[in-house]
Amino acid sequence: MALYQLDHIIHCYKDQPVLSIEDWSATEGMITGLCGPNGSGKSTLLKLLGFVERPSRGQIYFDGQKADPFSQGVRDRVTLLPQDSYLLKRSVYKNVAYGLHVRKNYTHETARVQEALNLVGLSADRFAQRPWYALSGGEARRVALAARLVLQPKVLLLDEPTTSVDAASAQLMKEAALHAHKQWGASLIISSHDVRWLQDICHDIIYLFNGRILGRGQRTLLFGPWQRLDDNRAGKLLSNDQIFIANKPSDDDKAVAAIDPARLTLHLSDHEIPEGSNTLKGMLTSLGLEKITGAISLVVAVGEIEFTAYLTADTFATGDYRPGKEIWISYRPEDVKWYY
Amino acid sequence: MDYIIQGLLQAFQLLFSGDAETYSAVAATLIVSSYAMAASLLFGIPLGFALGHFRFPGRRQVRLIVDTLLSLPTVFIGLIVYAFISRQGPLGQMGLLFTLPGIAIGQTILALPVVIALSATAVESMDVNLRTTLLSLGAGRRQLLQSTLWEARHAILAAALTAYGRVMTEVGISMMVGGNIKWHTRTITTAIALETNKGQFALGIALGLVLLLIAFVVNGSVSFLRKK
Repeated sequence: MALYQLDHIIHCYKDQPVLSIEDWSATEGMITGLCGPNGSGKSTLLKLLGFVERPSRGQIYFDGQKADPFSQGVRDRVTLLPQDSYLLKRSVYKNVAYGLHVRKNYTHETARVQEALNLVGLSADRFAQRPWYALSGGEARRVALAARLVLQPKVLLLDEPTTSVDAASAQLMKEAALHAHKQWGASLIISSHDVRWLQDICHDIIYLFNGRILGRGQRTLLFGPWQRLDDNRAGKLLSNDQIFIANKPSDDDKAVAAIDPARLTLHLSDHEIPEGSNTLKGMLTSLGLEKITGAISLVVAVGEIEFTAYLTADTFATGDYRPGKEIWISYRPEDVKWYY
Repeated sequence: MDYIIQGLLQAFQLLFSGDAETYSAVAATLIVSSYAMAASLLFGIPLGFALGHFRFPGRRQVRLIVDTLLSLPTVFIGLIVYAFISRQGPLGQMGLLFTLPGIAIGQTILALPVVIALSATAVESMDVNLRTTLLSLGAGRRQLLQSTLWEARHAILAAALTAYGRVMTEVGISMMVGGNIKWHTRTITTAIALETNKGQFALGIALGLVLLLIAFVVNGSVSFLRKK
């Protein structure tokens, strides 16, 4: 059974739709990554999944049951670390213990609070009695995470957990989140711009743009202005004088083109390119490994645009894919999706 | 200048010798202001919280009225309360005219808009992430309200202090509703007004000093509480 099932969700702020998801589900015990540009709806989606907001339309099912904010079945099992985490105006100890008090769960409270603080790399002796205002930004963020970990939630939702913290704090937070997954099987849903980290730990990564889920994996987005080439096609001149061509139905300059990495084909020489495809010549700039799925991501820079494509480990092994190497990407113009 | 210095010296004599008339006015002030503050906080904090926290039709209009009432002149409140509790008034049977509870009613009316308006502002200006944080940690509806109120405690304390300042220093209500009766309803401020009219600066200055001391003690206590 799916842990979450989203059914025709639309969420609006002041009557402006900011998120629209027809159908999406998440599986229990998995780590799911959310990526996408700022304003794509990642935080809104996490707030809905964390049941801190109610969708304007549609229904969210949790563990097969209809669920809303204040539903008894979800309050004790789901917790969200918001992007701008807020510490209550009380000591670190009381901040971490707040969720336990709300649940009237006082068993071994001190030990549990200490353990949660240790998990995020904060010594209980030094930090437990500190007031909320005597913490650095990174420490405050870690206290906020400890306040979630102490609850041992079934679902831990993390909104940009490593943003605005130093490298050491970021590392500790990443380890603590993984501990929750390994130790008590928490399902994690994480939004982050740290694509490498998501690739390292996630079973699935979904890409959001303009409040919609575009699909699995990193997407390449191309923004206007667009040049009309003929009745069906429009193009964008890239900085190295190549043209990205796509089938474009309207003249809307604000339209954004996205291309599914699965629709991109990589070629090590220009002899291999099939008929009817558009081709762009670029340079392979970086390689990444999705540890869980074993897929290898390749980033190809064409001018200033970076295209991401994926290869299986077997395909990757058959070619000489080295960063710095010239490479050709081909795609069919009809595979370009438009978002308005 | 000499008469001011003389007045100051006599004021200290009155205070340190335990002058009964001086301390009667101090006691009357403390009693009425305590009643008024207890009532205004009891009603004002929940109403202010509701006004700041909930969104309901007519909220802006209610807010406008409360903000306008911040400027209520004390003599006008005195007049209205007098009209209600004087013998021919609708509450005349209760015998509240020229009593400390009568003054306390007037001072409650004075303090209530201050507590409501400043509490509402305190709740409105809470961090937008507070609600998300509380809900994400599993707070229910009641806990959400309680914790929000607790988070706003410093600003609400400031609201209470501001209201206390107005109550302690007002003259109009105490004079009109209390009647400035010696040993009975004479408060610090009405006594100062009377003694100044009589040219008796010593008692006026002594009472003024006591007023300042009370304000100092109250502010010191609140400052201590804020660190908690």
